[in-house]
Amino acid sequence: MNKVRQLLRRDSWVVPFLKSQKSGLFWSIVLSFLTILAAGSLMFVSGYLISRAAQRPENVLMIYVPIVLTRGFGIARPVFRYAQRLVSHNWVLRFVSKSRRRLYESVASTASNIRSRLQTGEVLSLLADDLDRLQNLYLRTLFPLGAGMILYLFVSVGIGVVNWLFMLWWMMMLSVIMIVVPIVSFFANRTRVKKQKQLQSQLYTEATDAVLGLQDWVLSGRQQDLIAYQGQVMADLANTKRTSMKFGWWRDFWIQILVLILVVSTTIWAGTQFAESRMAVNFIAAFVLAIFPLVDSFLGVNQGVSEASFYEDSMTRLNELPVPEAEVTTPKTIKTPTIVLNNVTFKYGDKVIISQLDLVVKAGEKVAILGRSGSGKTTLLKLIAGDIVPESGHVTIGNESVQSLKQNLSKFIAVLDQQSYLFDTTILNNVRMGNIGATDDQVKAAITQAGLQPLIDSLPEKYHTKMQEAGARFSGGEQQRFALARILLQNAPIVILDEPTVGLDPKTEHQVLRQIFKVLQNRTIIWVTHHLTGIDEVNHAYFLSEGHFILSDTPEKLRTTSTHFQKLLAMDDFH
Amino acid sequence: MIDKRLFKLKGIIGTLMVLVFMTGIQGLTIIAQSVFMSRAIVDLWRGQSIEITLSNIVWFGLAFIVRQLLVVFKNQYMAGYADKAVENYRVQLLEKYTALGSTVVAKQGTGNAVTTLGAGLDNVKNYFQLLLIKVFDLSIIPWLVLAYIFYIKWEQGLFLLLIFPVVIIFFIILGLAAQSKADAEFANFKNLNNRFVDALRGLPTLKQLGLAETYSDEIYQISEDYRKTTMRTLKIAMTSTFALDFFTTLSIAVVAVFLGFDLLNGHMMLLPALTILILAPEYFLPLRNFSDDYHATLNGKNALTDVLAMIEEPNVSNQAVLQLTTWQSDSQLILNNINFSYDQQPVLKNITVQAKGYQKIALVGESGSGKSTLLNIIGGFLTADDGQIMINHQKLPHLAQADWQKQFFYMPQQPYIFHNTLRENIKFYAQNASENEVMDAIKNAGLSALVDELPDGLDSMIGESGRQVSGGQAQRITLARMLLDNQRKILLFDEPTAHLDIETEYDLKQAMAPILASHLVFFATHRLHWLDQMDYVLVLRQGEVVEQGEPRLLLADVNSQLNRLRYELGGK
Repeated sequence: MNKVRQLLRRDSWVVPFLKSQKSGLFWSIVLSFLTILAAGSLMFVSGYLISRAAQRPENVLMIYVPIVLTRGFGIARPVFRYAQRLVSHNWVLRFVSKSRRRLYESVASTASNIRSRLQTGEVLSLLADDLDRLQNLYLRTLFPLGAGMILYLFVSVGIGVVNWLFMLWWMMMLSVIMIVVPIVSFFANRTRVKKQKQLQSQLYTEATDAVLGLQDWVLSGRQQDLIAYQGQVMADLANTKRTSMKFGWWRDFWIQILVLILVVSTTIWAGTQFAESRMAVNFIAAFVLAIFPLVDSFLGVNQGVSEASFYEDSMTRLNELPVPEAEVTTPKTIKTPTIVLNNVTFKYGDKVIISQLDLVVKAGEKVAILGRSGSGKTTLLKLIAGDIVPESGHVTIGNESVQSLKQNLSKFIAVLDQQSYLFDTTILNNVRMGNIGATDDQVKAAITQAGLQPLIDSLPEKYHTKMQEAGARFSGGEQQRFALARILLQNAPIVILDEPTVGLDPKTEHQVLRQIFKVLQNRTIIWVTHHLTGIDEVNHAYFLSEGHFILSDTPEKLRTTSTHFQKLLAMDDFH
Repeated sequence: MIDKRLFKLKGIIGTLMVLVFMTGIQGLTIIAQSVFMSRAIVDLWRGQSIEITLSNIVWFGLAFIVRQLLVVFKNQYMAGYADKAVENYRVQLLEKYTALGSTVVAKQGTGNAVTTLGAGLDNVKNYFQLLLIKVFDLSIIPWLVLAYIFYIKWEQGLFLLLIFPVVIIFFIILGLAAQSKADAEFANFKNLNNRFVDALRGLPTLKQLGLAETYSDEIYQISEDYRKTTMRTLKIAMTSTFALDFFTTLSIAVVAVFLGFDLLNGHMMLLPALTILILAPEYFLPLRNFSDDYHATLNGKNALTDVLAMIEEPNVSNQAVLQLTTWQSDSQLILNNINFSYDQQPVLKNITVQAKGYQKIALVGESGSGKSTLLNIIGGFLTADDGQIMINHQKLPHLAQADWQKQFFYMPQQPYIFHNTLRENIKFYAQNASENEVMDAIKNAGLSALVDELPDGLDSMIGESGRQVSGGQAQRITLARMLLDNQRKILLFDEPTAHLDIETEYDLKQAMAPILASHLVFFATHRLHWLDQMDYVLVLRQGEVVEQGEPRLLLADVNSQLNRLRYELGGK
């Protein structure tokens, strides 16, 4: 209980939005209330109408008003419902627009320059799903709940006008149906929902294990194990789901029994209340028949509320996102972009990743950084790009700390990695992203420099060719060249190359590397590489191991002095 | 309305009979409930006391309770059936997956294959559970109710009967209009959604280019466009539900007014009129319930199609032609004139390979030369278009032979690591390996450092959503698997080190070299330094073997194809 309350108190996604979009919320709820009201009124008036007609009044005019009302409510119900659905969907989609923007801003504020893959791929799709789920929170839980509450008040007042004692009875019964049962079923379902979600994700992992590891299952001859093993989780999940559905079915059954008690008690009450007058007896049918259309909305509220715990995780996750702060700093300029790392240490938890590292890269110098996976290469790049702050020591570019340059870092550092993304727009627009103010001629010049002219000439739409999502229509080598063209335009003095040629075949790798070093002649280059291919292009090679450099020199010297280097070179140079 | 494929399910007829029976009783209780309710109200209306009409109220209550109980029972009964049917499909699906092997995944796409197994089967279950109940409600209850109304007053019955097809026709016509509108907007929808995904996926690049902040307005604009398009479609789409709603509600109102006039003119008594009024909504209710879940039904239908299509894929035949217990030093594999094409493009042309005993054969060539394809044919993961295959003089249709696949171990470029403990991952091929054997394998595969680093050592969870292992570590785990299973005398390698950093590659090579001894090895790679471990090499170029022989001799020949390849791979 406390957890839920805390969640709501700290919430900055749902509650504030409700407050800021009052009119849409108001109409959504009012219209869904009116829908139920019209349905109830139709039966109420119809019941009255035929009862009154059965008394055979001398004049049709005596039942004229109920006739008109019957038709009116008959038309009003579907119209209200139609309007309600449009208004509420519109409202919810507006919520989605705003939250998408907020989600984007929040994620963008924490995205790092170096390898922010995990952050974007999985997490983003997870968060996007969360937003979708919150839509349902509104449509299936909040709106019906709001309408139910208004209905509760309305019905109570309606009966209260006739008999206040009976009103108390109704209020009590409705409280049970609309408040007690939903709360109980919310908490009763909560653990089940949790278990169901956990099993669901387990099922997904296991299905992935089954499909991606299929070759191993087959080759190891363990097909039967796979089938048996998979069955267990699926059976568990089916069981959990069935228990929670069973719970829902029986809950609905007991609500129906409560409704039955209401119907019977109302019949008896109406029978005694209205018995004395010839006109009043017509209300017996009216009151009793009107109860039935209300039942649907009772069931809706209950179902919506017991589903609510499905949204808990989504709300928690969204609320854990950082709130982007708008920092305004005056853009700095630097004269000579010398990179200096002075006695830098970085720890992740207790583990030392970079330990007391010194590195100076002068303007225009080209260095290569090599090392096994886990040796700290990526961390080193992140430190240089200001994505992370060192535990001790300083990272400066042109005597300014990297952190103070962070706001407009793209002016100083360009990054070319394996995942440089090409957007689904024209070639011209894609390359222009390097410098929004560039003229068409400048963009075209950069494309030519990146060695793409022959490719452009071969395309029917030339520079206006659409890239398709993630640049899918071009090969890996071509995509990297487009990214290179973008960087040429970006014109930052420092370029970080983060294994830009992984995944390319050796021949293309050579060509792309040669092009990169040719056109980036005047820039400072920090190149993390996993092969020695192209190593002669750099002035200095550093070998990183356990957070510090174990070997560093010019490639020429390393060739003669280091046996380690020679061994590696022998592998790469076997070509 | 009802899927013919359903009738092929085991035990469906009996299940449906029970469902029909329960629904029939439910229909009767609905009539009973309405009749007794009307009687009670009419009695009270006449001014009679509660005691007189108490029996009616009790009967009403009983009918009501039975009706609600039947709702629960029907749901539980069908859920039980759906569980069984889906479990059945699951086993069949997994059997099919394992029978077809990795080709399934290649054809279907990983995402698809996983979805079919997870969400796909879920949808099928919903379909069985929801759809069957709703269809049978719709085909039984309205007609029982209508029959009773006819019995009371045929004019009202006729009206309700005639309005039914009108409602359905409008529902369908407007539904079709909505569909065509939705189809017309679909391109737009897709475009907008893609742009959003595009922006999210490109976020790291935007950040690097310093554009991340300016892009947030773009995101909002895309979402707003999306909203407007969606609303345009919804306006039409919802009209079909509106029509259904409108006609059913109005029909009830019309019935009420007609009944009023009949009563006024003395053609009718209150009791039958009230009964009809109470029954009229019940008559339309199943139709409304059915249309509400119409879309869920469509999803289920599509999912069922996917599942059935997968299950009905033909199996690979003749997998037990080969008789082979163990590959030995005098065993022999011959591939003769093998051709293979993909999408009508020839990938392998007239390949002839002979392998004997514990030879170490390198398959080298540029990317796209066909070396991986050839390895896949040797592993039996692909079937050649023509050519002869022989093992120890036994002619074979293909190499997807049970006895053959037991002989070899396959190391791909990116081996799959199961979401399980490190220990279980290593023991995957040798379930009965002892603790000592496992420790030895770990030492020899160079995994000791990883084991020390993991919080629970060998029992730490790794793989997806556990602790991620690096590419080099994954290769070492595969190596350990290989070391534990010493029954297999053939090793297939597909570019095992191409994506590793050079130092890791160097370390791994030291660990791997000793394992190659006394095994038949096929090693596909463009990292030519591996040639020093091989005693035979096939040079592939555009799907053909352009040269074969001992690496030492070919390297010595300046004009050899192998040296030409070296030159090209060196980017010179």
